[in-house]
Amino acid sequence: MTQPRLAQPQLAQPRLTQPRLTARGVLAGEWTKFGSLRSTWITLGVSALFLLAIGLIAAASFTPGTGRGVAADRPMDAVGIALAGTTFAALAVGVLGVLLSAGEYTTGMIRATLTAVPTRLPVLWAKSLIAGGVALVLMAVGALVSFLLGSALLRAGVTALGLGDDGVLRSLAGAGLYLGLVAVFGVGLGMLVRSSAGGIAILAGTLLILPGVIGLLPDSWSTAISPYLPSNAGEAVMRLHPGGGSLSPAVGLAVFAGYVAVILAAAAVRLRKSDA
Amino acid sequence: MIEVRELTKRFGSKTAVDNLSFTAKPGQVTGFLGPNGAGKSTTMRMIVGLDAPTSGTALVNGARYAAHAAPLCEIGVLLEARSVHPGRTAVAHLLALARTHGIPRRRVDEVIARAGLGAVAGKRVGGFSLGMGQRLGIAAALLGDPAVIMLDEPVNGLDPEGVLWVRNLLGGLAAEGRTVLLSSHLMSETALIADHLVIVGRGRLLADTSVPDLIAQTAGGGVRVGTSETGLLRSLLTGPGVTVTSVDHEELLVTGLSARELGRVAADNRVPLHELSSSQVSLEEAFMNLTRESVEYPSALEAVK
Repeated sequence: MTQPRLAQPQLAQPRLTQPRLTARGVLAGEWTKFGSLRSTWITLGVSALFLLAIGLIAAASFTPGTGRGVAADRPMDAVGIALAGTTFAALAVGVLGVLLSAGEYTTGMIRATLTAVPTRLPVLWAKSLIAGGVALVLMAVGALVSFLLGSALLRAGVTALGLGDDGVLRSLAGAGLYLGLVAVFGVGLGMLVRSSAGGIAILAGTLLILPGVIGLLPDSWSTAISPYLPSNAGEAVMRLHPGGGSLSPAVGLAVFAGYVAVILAAAAVRLRKSDA
Repeated sequence: MIEVRELTKRFGSKTAVDNLSFTAKPGQVTGFLGPNGAGKSTTMRMIVGLDAPTSGTALVNGARYAAHAAPLCEIGVLLEARSVHPGRTAVAHLLALARTHGIPRRRVDEVIARAGLGAVAGKRVGGFSLGMGQRLGIAAALLGDPAVIMLDEPVNGLDPEGVLWVRNLLGGLAAEGRTVLLSSHLMSETALIADHLVIVGRGRLLADTSVPDLIAQTAGGGVRVGTSETGLLRSLLTGPGVTVTSVDHEELLVTGLSARELGRVAADNRVPLHELSSSQVSLEEAFMNLTRESVEYPSALEAVK
């Protein structure tokens, strides 16, 4: 038999459910924070737009033989064309991650957050899980849509590919996985440097500028180092035909996940040890 | 109950809090006073674990803050610096904090109403005035219905109505048997609310006392008397414990005699007076006397003295 709860006096009697700080609660709280910021919707929207728009433009403008419409180092297959926008989408979901964590320090929100969760680390895990999970799902769906719509736009000259073909689903899901991990990378980076501007600068430097800088090194060096750079290793997981100096999908994923783990560990140490 | 025991915090070579001990008891408003830079905010941050003490301990209801199963329900905190993301609405901010502890939505609406934020609850915090921001901070502090409330400079930026609201709220919370610790650099404001005073300067404890005791302890007091016959009056005012100092050529400051006694002496000896007044040492002066040595940035005038 249930009594209406309104009838109960507020302070005099113990509540039916005693409030308690739980990991599940921290996740729920972070989910509320995630959804209640405009920057979340903007960065998610921008990442989806980049992935779709660039993928479709690449498909529509692709002319066999010239390589027009796709970055030169990308293999020219329908999957590679559909995923032409991942570099920019990666930047957007990375920024989402950085803002989610560093934004707390930039605004002072972290003081309220860590007062509610003095054990601290659950906050980092919850943010990583939410940013990574949402980015993974949204980007995997985005890659799929880009592939399906893009295939319809592709002119002859490219081997027609369907979802059932070898490696196609793995590549599309891999794009989601890579971009999900980039969001987690952003969360860790933001938590580590505690500044939105600094975190975004390092993110852009790592994903966009570092490959170019390494390309300036002598050839023997750059070909040895290049596959292990975060962006190149991570992108290997969504290549339909690995090769041409890039790592295999599994190894690439493992290398990129390693970078993410290192950044997260450093962020966790700083979060635990230093004053908020 | 808040128990601070031999708490020390150093930032590099600077000691912000120096071997500080005090207790804030239930059912009382404890005023935590000191000039700017005295270490009040740092102490409060250490109590809730935002800063780690260099040495010493701070206990909330008998345990370290982070060791509690439901920290928000043990102590509610308003920190001096703004602790809100400006892009979030007041409701979303409170709801995010409440969810970490499984505090029901109903409680969020209650504290919004109690803080008088009903009209702006759905608005982004970035557009809030300083006063509304303080009210939101206080609403967050009340969220877990905690037995201890700790507020850092809560009346900063509040209009007179807001100040009165905070005063009544804190008095009410203490009357319910809760522990209230309230920091301020304004003695006069704190004296109206606080039962007990903990005064610090440069991180050290200067006084752990009550308002009347503080006045009795530090009051110089004295009676100001104006007369053209200063020389004559001075010669008449002798006795144990009586000291006379001249303020200017027609005014004396007398301690050890009440204004009534002094007036009687003057009348009996036909000394004409044009002024006779007890000079009360205000709480503010008592506070300044106590903290004079420890002011972080003394003004030029003070420095010359």
